Amino acid sequence: MTHLDSELKFLKEELVAMHRLVYSQVSKCKEALFRFDNDISKEILVTEKRVNALELKIDRDCENILALFNPVAIDLRFVLAALKINSNLERIGDNAEGIARYVLDVKQPFPAELLERYHIKEMIDTCLSMLEDAITALENEDTAAARKIFLKDDALDQINRSVTATTIKLVEERNNMTLHFINLLSIVRKFERIGDQTKNISEEIIFYIEAKVLRHGQNIN
Amino acid sequence: MKALNTAKIHKRKLRNQSLAFWTFGVISFGIVAILIVILSFILYHGFKVISWDFITKMPEDGMTKGGIYPALIGTLYLVAGSMIFAFPIGVMSAIYINEYARDGILKRFIQMMTNNLAGIPSIVFGLFGMSLFVNDLKFGASILAGSLTLGLLALPVVIRTTEESLKSIDNSFRIGSLALGASKWQTTKRVIFPMAFPNVITGLILAIGRVSGETAPILFTVAAYFLPRLPHSIFDQVMALPYHLYVISTSGTNIEASRGIAYGTALVLIMLVLITNLLANALRRYFGNKVKMN
Amino acid sequence: MNKIETRNVNLYYGDFHALKGITMSIQENSVTALIGPSGCGKSTYLRCFNRMNDLIQKVKIEGDILVEGKDIYERGVDVDELRKKVGMVFQKPNPFPKSIFENVAYGLRVNGVKNKAFIEERVERSLQQAALWEEVKDKLKKSAFALSGGQQQRLCIARALAIEPTVLLMDEPASALDPLSTAKIEELIYELKNKYTIIIVTHNMQQAGRVSDHTAFFYMGELIEVDETKVIFTNPKNVRTQNYITGRFG
Repeated sequence: MTHLDSELKFLKEELVAMHRLVYSQVSKCKEALFRFDNDISKEILVTEKRVNALELKIDRDCENILALFNPVAIDLRFVLAALKINSNLERIGDNAEGIARYVLDVKQPFPAELLERYHIKEMIDTCLSMLEDAITALENEDTAAARKIFLKDDALDQINRSVTATTIKLVEERNNMTLHFINLLSIVRKFERIGDQTKNISEEIIFYIEAKVLRHGQNIN
Repeated sequence: MKALNTAKIHKRKLRNQSLAFWTFGVISFGIVAILIVILSFILYHGFKVISWDFITKMPEDGMTKGGIYPALIGTLYLVAGSMIFAFPIGVMSAIYINEYARDGILKRFIQMMTNNLAGIPSIVFGLFGMSLFVNDLKFGASILAGSLTLGLLALPVVIRTTEESLKSIDNSFRIGSLALGASKWQTTKRVIFPMAFPNVITGLILAIGRVSGETAPILFTVAAYFLPRLPHSIFDQVMALPYHLYVISTSGTNIEASRGIAYGTALVLIMLVLITNLLANALRRYFGNKVKMN
Repeated sequence: MNKIETRNVNLYYGDFHALKGITMSIQENSVTALIGPSGCGKSTYLRCFNRMNDLIQKVKIEGDILVEGKDIYERGVDVDELRKKVGMVFQKPNPFPKSIFENVAYGLRVNGVKNKAFIEERVERSLQQAALWEEVKDKLKKSAFALSGGQQQRLCIARALAIEPTVLLMDEPASALDPLSTAKIEELIYELKNKYTIIIVTHNMQQAGRVSDHTAFFYMGELIEVDETKVIFTNPKNVRTQNYITGRFG
């Protein structure tokens, strides 16, 4: 293995580690919402610091590889993709942190039927499965796994579109727990963002492996 | 307009090229022709005299008959003796000059002196040899004195050719060896000198060629007109081919009758040089291949 | 641990001031690249460490040059011994006109080693370290000149490694080679640094980036900047360094 190869391998390992950190944050969101455990919410906030530090390190490592090795072809595409994936993961972490803050914001737990109406479980499960697909795609350079993410994101978009109407109806039906409705609306938006970010990640993975650009809705194959 | 001019220039170029080619060709051919003429002349006249007896028998009848054996042996002794003296000293000097001496006045002085030595007329060597070896050191007219004198004559040739062959070895080999922690002597012994050796042998051959034909230095230091017996020791005198040739052509007992033997002697002398050259070339090639391998 | 240290070293070729007050330390088991435009003094500096500058007449050196803590220009220092500890590989491969085996064994033989088995073992080990063993193990008796340029250079590296130096000086070792051989040599250097301290002069900046841990930028006899290679190539502190590595001046 050449020097460059070992550097690229290490970079990938760092990305996967960041991925798993972020995955754990999103997964804890599920617990935080359903069990209404404030400790878990706080854990999510603490993890965010590690995520930020790792993001800075990965950025620096990419910069070093570009400066020292002048990579070309797939190696160059990988480093460029790594920079973007890095930033996408960091934003997912941000979004998870935001969700945790919304949970900490309310005094009482979210009623189960409310969580149902907002399709929270479905959203979280979809997000987690998308993130799993992304990790698989990255680790194994599996573009088929990456492509699965597009369809799942469509499901998230659908839910997202529907909750505005749900919220309006709930506000008209009752006048207590308004904060819950509003925060849940925001939480759904955040999950939709997480889905988008994950979709971006998969586009970057397909780009570096196949050199195909899929951004901005071109040519989804 | 332009096209016409270049055609003219081109034609002139071709003509000059042709002219130069033929001029040099004719001159070279001329030189070779002269050489062939000389050799043929001697070959023609000397051939009738050559026989196994001629080479192995003593002269008889006042040099009008018989062989030149003692002169041949004498020449061989003198050549060997002079080389025993000149070769080691010459090679060592050249190694010192090229590998050890620092650039400066002393080195340039040594090199200048060597060149001067090469230019001294051979009769002067003869006189010097007689004065120092024969008289002062009391060696008398002897193989010893003659070898030393001829050795001095050969010395600058050996030094110069050895120096040139050492110089022709690229410096990167010296640097490479020294960088491995070898001393200068180890470098010279193990790498540089073996590489230069083929050319050093060439120098040796040149020296031998020079020495075997010299008459003046051996005139007063060793050569004898006639010796009934072969020499026993290095303090004895010997006959020698060049001197023998000189003597029977000019002051022999019966010049006319010995003429044939004179040509024969000349032929043997030339043959000697020729054979030495061929042998040397063979040696050169052998060592040249060896250098590449180890 | 500082393997090599220079303090305020000045070097003159006659009247020409070739090195101006160079102060620098080099760590053990690292690769340090010396970069800079032609004539900046990097090769001159390199040659100080095995005293090859001694071979040039009219050279004057001031300042301290320490290898493993000892001043190598002190009186009484055995230069041959120094050169066994500090090996050198040159720009143009210069194998001796001997067999491959004898080339590698040369350093051992001039050191007085006579044990045949020891020499054979050492030759094999050095050729393996130089990543040449597989290519030549069946033709050790063949002439070194039968090898390609890249192989000859690896042979020279094996030859230098055979006497087990602790420091390896390389003066543009790949500049006379084709790109494939260059890549092989660079990989070799990356592996060798685990056992040796390597200083390499290169006019190819990308090579310095690929191969070295630390880089020193020389210009007109002065040491402009020395730092971790990562830093030099992403954020050098001196604007002249930046101008050089971005190619904004020759």
